Amino acid sequence: MNKQLTSTFSGSPRSEAGADALFGEGAIAKFQRLSNRAMIYMLALTMVTVVGFPLFWMVISSFKLPNEMYLFPPNFLPAEWTLQNYSDLFTQTSFGLYFLNSLIVSVGATSLSLVIGGLGAYSISRFRFFGIAGFSRITMLCYMLPEVLIVIPLYIYVVELGMADTLFALIIGNTAFTLPLTLWYMKSYFNAIPASLEESAMIDGCTRLQAFRKITLPLALPGLIATGMFSFNHAWNEFLFALVFTSSESNKVLSLGLATWIGQDNIYSWGMLMASAVLVAIPVMLFYLLVQRKLVTGLADGGAKG
Amino acid sequence: MSDSASALKGDRFIAYCTLLPSALILLLLVAIPTVLVAILSTQEVGLGEHSGPFVGLSNFIDVLTSDTFYRALVNTIIWVFGSVGLDMLIGTAIALLLSKTFFGRGIARAIVLAPYLIPTVVAVLIWKYMFHDIVGVLNYLLLKVGLIEKPLLWLTSANTAMLSVILVGAWKFFPFVVLALLGILQAIPQEQYEAAKIDGASAWQQFVKITLPHVLPVFLLTAMLRTIWTFHKFDIIYLLTGGGPLDSTTTLPVLVYQKAFVDFETGNAAAIAIVTGVILAFLLGIYFVLIKLAEDKQ
Repeated sequence: MNKQLTSTFSGSPRSEAGADALFGEGAIAKFQRLSNRAMIYMLALTMVTVVGFPLFWMVISSFKLPNEMYLFPPNFLPAEWTLQNYSDLFTQTSFGLYFLNSLIVSVGATSLSLVIGGLGAYSISRFRFFGIAGFSRITMLCYMLPEVLIVIPLYIYVVELGMADTLFALIIGNTAFTLPLTLWYMKSYFNAIPASLEESAMIDGCTRLQAFRKITLPLALPGLIATGMFSFNHAWNEFLFALVFTSSESNKVLSLGLATWIGQDNIYSWGMLMASAVLVAIPVMLFYLLVQRKLVTGLADGGAKG
Repeated sequence: MSDSASALKGDRFIAYCTLLPSALILLLLVAIPTVLVAILSTQEVGLGEHSGPFVGLSNFIDVLTSDTFYRALVNTIIWVFGSVGLDMLIGTAIALLLSKTFFGRGIARAIVLAPYLIPTVVAVLIWKYMFHDIVGVLNYLLLKVGLIEKPLLWLTSANTAMLSVILVGAWKFFPFVVLALLGILQAIPQEQYEAAKIDGASAWQQFVKITLPHVLPVFLLTAMLRTIWTFHKFDIIYLLTGGGPLDSTTTLPVLVYQKAFVDFETGNAAAIAIVTGVILAFLLGIYFVLIKLAEDKQ
């Protein structure tokens, strides 16, 4: 609509001259600018509405009473706001346990990757000995491999080593992807920290390990935190290994636990499912708010595989 | 001299010591399993067993001559083209919009990125509820606007299941394209646009002559990366439909899972996994060539 208006005005020189005579020099340009602005706001509003509606619907529905969830046509705002879905989650289901299991697996895989991968990434970044460059390229390839390619042999490992249906198996399984991620991402982070800082410390009498601990590590801390979050996010999200490696109720992580609830309307109402969705999304959304800037550049570099 | 030589020796010791754990883990968790899949694909593995007699290429012949495999291959192609196409289309449009400055852009950007950040299972829960045959809000809205005449059975009809899965995939993953393109769009020097404006270039001309050449390499790399990741996506499809109804959304990764852990045909599953891996290797090859081209151009 606005676009049409501007094009009729600017498209025909006569009307433009006429309008200029009427409103004075520059009125057309001003109008055009204004209608451009209006266009941008309209598009932005449409975008936010369409993209954000499912999220809005999740949050709103989680506060509705069970009988309201099945209304058709639906209420767009709850007739009565309630926290019943949330309290039901913790009193009637294993949601709390799933949440704890997910935390254990994600924190486990992330810490393992940060310690082992962080050290490895430092060496990849600083040293040029035989095989290191090649290894660096292989880590990238590992990161790109699909889970589905290695899930069968990993399952056989897990069964033969007696680790079937344990959270430990999930921690190890997730490391297959969070470790290459850490190596790859931390390598570029260490590359950005000048080696000259360590070298001058070493001239002053530090050993390499001291220089690493006192100079490089503190500088790399923001990178470690960002990498840790990507890694946590990956493990928090992971589903295939959880589906294949674990089965008992007490070892289910969130992704698997919630997946088994879908379709069991009689036990787990949609209100509870939406409330659980909100709670599962909260940790990652918090991360986003905490490290917004770093996250945006990191994600664009492929920090989250997906 | 001897000092620096011993320092070098010390460095080498540190380097290999710190790399050893990573190398071992990747060897055990990624390299050996990849070889094992290849070995399993040449074996006849019985129910409950983890290896079996060598049968040559017969698993591959079984798989490549079966209708299920072709069905899954076609489904995968539709899924990849549909999702990546939508990702790129929506992602580019929104990146162009977000590259403009306007009031509330920070919030708009956060909302746009949110689908990418939330866990897949959350996205699946939301859409399952919105797609619901009876109480789903999507049918309600579309009926009200008049786009459909009767409620659609989004995920439960073989005609619309793939479309529904693609829609959810696009909603979940287009923000990656926004992120990638927004970075490069904001890096284009503004003077170029101002110079073009002075020379009387229209908005379209500015887009074709300035924006497009800057953005194209990143656009192609992003499209390729999305193709690779979409190609081996398992969870979102499995969680939404389980591959059904009537196998209408069974893609290759879903088929590998079904063969291995539902039908217990480990040999065939390994063969499909290998075929999937080969296709992926080919896509990765294209991706690395594109990266090389983009680097050479700079």
